[in-house]
Amino acid sequence: MSKKDKQLWLMLLPYLVGLLVLVFGPALVTLALAFTEYDLIGPPQWIGLANFAELATSVPFRAALVNSLVFAAVAVPLRVALALGLALLLHRRAPGAATARTVATLPTAVPEIAYGLLWLWLLNPLYGPVNQLLRLGGENGRTALGTAVPAWLTAPEDARAAIIVMSLFTIGEMLVVLLAARRALPREVHELAALEGASAWSLARRVTLPLLSPVIALLLLRDTILSFQFSFVPALVVTEGGPPPYSTTYLPLYVYRNAFEYLRYGHAAAATLVVLVLTAAAVAAQWLVIRRYRALAGPPRSPRVPPR
Amino acid sequence: MTGVELVGVRAAHGRDDVLRGVDLVVERGELLVVLGPSGAGKSTLLRVVAGLHPVAAGTVRIAGRNVTALSPGERDVAMVFQSHALFPHLTVADNIAFGHRVRGLRRGSARAIASRAAAVVGCEHLLDRRPHQLSGGERQRVALARALVREPAVFLLDEPLSNVDGPLRERTRAELRALHDRVGATMLHVTHDRVEALILGDRVAVVRDGRVEQVGTPEEVWRRPATEFVATFVGPMNVLPGDGPWRGGHRVGFRQEAVRLVDDGVPGRVVRVEVVGEDAYVHLDVRSHPVVARVPSSQQPEVGAEVCLEVGELHLFDASGTRSV
Repeated sequence: MSKKDKQLWLMLLPYLVGLLVLVFGPALVTLALAFTEYDLIGPPQWIGLANFAELATSVPFRAALVNSLVFAAVAVPLRVALALGLALLLHRRAPGAATARTVATLPTAVPEIAYGLLWLWLLNPLYGPVNQLLRLGGENGRTALGTAVPAWLTAPEDARAAIIVMSLFTIGEMLVVLLAARRALPREVHELAALEGASAWSLARRVTLPLLSPVIALLLLRDTILSFQFSFVPALVVTEGGPPPYSTTYLPLYVYRNAFEYLRYGHAAAATLVVLVLTAAAVAAQWLVIRRYRALAGPPRSPRVPPR
Repeated sequence: MTGVELVGVRAAHGRDDVLRGVDLVVERGELLVVLGPSGAGKSTLLRVVAGLHPVAAGTVRIAGRNVTALSPGERDVAMVFQSHALFPHLTVADNIAFGHRVRGLRRGSARAIASRAAAVVGCEHLLDRRPHQLSGGERQRVALARALVREPAVFLLDEPLSNVDGPLRERTRAELRALHDRVGATMLHVTHDRVEALILGDRVAVVRDGRVEQVGTPEEVWRRPATEFVATFVGPMNVLPGDGPWRGGHRVGFRQEAVRLVDDGVPGRVVRVEVVGEDAYVHLDVRSHPVVARVPSSQQPEVGAEVCLEVGELHLFDASGTRSV
């Protein structure tokens, strides 16, 4: 090993130790615990696949699984579409655009707990501003269309919708990535389209979106992975997993409750493994789709623009 | 009817004036080359005609129509960019057909038109390829075909040959000229390459600092340059100040090949000799002024030799650099 290699390893060492002790170690322990019953008081008891068998028949687990999948299927496309729309709207150097970009990224910077508590107030059925807005122009506490206002925290469907709505405003990171990607597109291709008299819609459909598609695909992948996690705080703080029956109990909350409230560490570890496998499967499925699309479209590459 | 007409056009980049009052006429069917150094405003001139850069003052007319206030898509122009600006996600055929597709033509008919245009520039065998599979020269052809397919009132070419190298560049240049003669289109071609300008252009407009210094045939700008700048930019020229050995009071210019080394004349000393094939560039010191003479390499003098020189055609410029006869 050369001196340079030694130096490199030395510099990597603190990170590798941290990774080993803080991530891989606990992950292996979790894997092992999944086959035991463990309550933190007595020693873990080996029970084989009993935890997984229980998961298969558990009503709350099945609810959490379905909730998480529905959440990912609805929230992820909406989040990406929203970030994309904002990026295409706000990438220009126009008056107010910089301010709007800041405002749009701001909710992502708010600490998650504070963000959750904020929504608890916003969604309050009686005095929350959201429902007060919805009641504008309506009578007897109904909307202007005569429909009942949503019971965000107490009706199962409305509560699930509330969690999705909350997730739509924390798209700052995606917005930043898409803004950068949009700005990196060569100016000439858009000018050329302008010379051809392309409308805004055909410009977006025929030029901008195809050129941004590698970035969009990447963001979809990443957001799918994250979506199995970021339902946790809203579900814990705002809806507390309810209303019954388990309407907003998602997989992370299910794991959390079993481990830290019911002290069923083995059961929680088994559920964690299921989440991991699910996430990997979702990513693999998307990757297959993207790879097939790429095979059709050829490798994404932007035209070389020589320096002026 | 004129192809393109610019009247008193001014344009700015932020606070910098880029075009400071440009008057220029491109006749219908003419290939006019705009020649100038980097930063002279050539590209901005082209972008103003295309409508991609706003004018601060003045009028732009295309085919007799005032287009100053029209959007790029309404001007009936096609542009070939320096970067070629091919859409990387589309095949060559779809790139060429892009304009027709945007305007709602069906895929089949657009493709038929595209393959005809591709045949004109000789790239019909590339129709199913993607831009990243093409060489620089091939991309350039595709970009040309994409402009051709529009049958626009005027073609705007922004240094289209600068991404094509070497012998291919000479061939492409010749093909571009042949293409122009074949389709008889009005073309406005921007370049900083004087050889390209002199070979390609029906006329050449030399620009500097946002102004047109001279418009004329390649022969006119070469033989009767209107300013010292034009004279030195279209080809290498020796320019000596008024206190030199020729014609007191004027700045005096002469081409390198106008210098002959003779037995009797203005004395000079050979400082350096550069030989390029058949030519020798003899760097001389003439009364402390640098002078370069181009002579056949068989007649090259020794370095350090004292020689005498005789100069053929002289160009006289006044102190401001304007030609004086």
